[in-house]
Amino acid sequence: MAHADPHDHGHHSHGPDHVPHVTPLPIYLKTFATLVVLTVITVGASYINLGTSVNLALALIIATTKACVVAAFFMHLASDHKFHTAVFASSIVFLGIFVAFTMFDTSARGQFDAQKKNRPAQMTDPFAKATAAPSAAPAAAAAPAGATKAGAKP
Amino acid sequence: MMSASTEAHEKGSPDFVVAHHFDSADTQFDAGRLGIWLFLVTEVLFFGGLFCAFFIYRNWYFDSFVEAHHHLDKQMGALNTVFLITSSLTMALAVRAAQRTKRSETVNMLFVTFLLAGCFLVVKYFEYTHKIHDGLLPGAMFSAQGFATQHAGVFFAIYFVMTGIHGLHVVIGMGLILWILIRAHRGDFSSRYYAPVEGVGLYWHLVDLIWIYLFPLLYLVG
Repeated sequence: MAHADPHDHGHHSHGPDHVPHVTPLPIYLKTFATLVVLTVITVGASYINLGTSVNLALALIIATTKACVVAAFFMHLASDHKFHTAVFASSIVFLGIFVAFTMFDTSARGQFDAQKKNRPAQMTDPFAKATAAPSAAPAAAAAPAGATKAGAKP
Repeated sequence: MMSASTEAHEKGSPDFVVAHHFDSADTQFDAGRLGIWLFLVTEVLFFGGLFCAFFIYRNWYFDSFVEAHHHLDKQMGALNTVFLITSSLTMALAVRAAQRTKRSETVNMLFVTFLLAGCFLVVKYFEYTHKIHDGLLPGAMFSAQGFATQHAGVFFAIYFVMTGIHGLHVVIGMGLILWILIRAHRGDFSSRYYAPVEGVGLYWHLVDLIWIYLFPLLYLVG
């Protein structure tokens, strides 16, 4: 940030008193203006049908831009210790892992039931040919497959 | 600026002391701020579970979500977004005023922030009343008729839980703002010591930040 701040040198000097890092007023006002403009854009974009996944992606990109602006200037991460940015970013990283891996599971449930029915897994001989499978196995596999499907969408 | 700082030194924050286990006022200040950031991390993960639920059910019952989200009022949601963004600005300005030992400016900005938070809750009250009247309630209480899809109730369950917990955060935030408003009025804060103002400010910005995601996901995209 290129601004003249008489306190810049005093910051983190480990003097007897804390000297605040005062962000210039125009930065706050520009941040606010950016947020208002992005809100107008995201509401406007919702009236245009670009296909649901494009609309969702656009809404999330705009929301993330707004979140970054709030975090950087209102929450002072731009001028604060980099460690605080790392702490906050870590929560976003773990949230991403949490949501992504849950979606891998929940969006694929029941998808392989059909294949499993045709070729039941042989625990003792996993590479056995499908034709060599005992005739009782398909019937046994059908029941849990049906249960999984029902369980996927309560 | 230097003279203002010296003046603050003399008459600001009369009760402020650096605890003996801290090196300096700066270290104490940074320790407090790090604590707030760690708390905000837990808040992100807490709301993260709800966002995860939103994405799972949106994926499963996509048609219901699209149909149900048309029952939310975009204008009301956008108005509330503007209220929260503006309150974030006034909160940031309150912190800035406290940093410069401007007592009445701090109090005024906190008061405006408090009022804007109140406006948010008033709009939310009208939205909730409308939904309760239409029977668009979560779970077994869902009594609305005429939906073409099966699972519209799931959308409203998620809507009420997410906006309800967010609303609870707004109410708690109003309490915290009132607390620092009284302390600011009493003259507790100055450029030497304004940690509570900044801490509540960070919390308030996070409440705004969560709404920044809730609004498009619930009202706009569905």
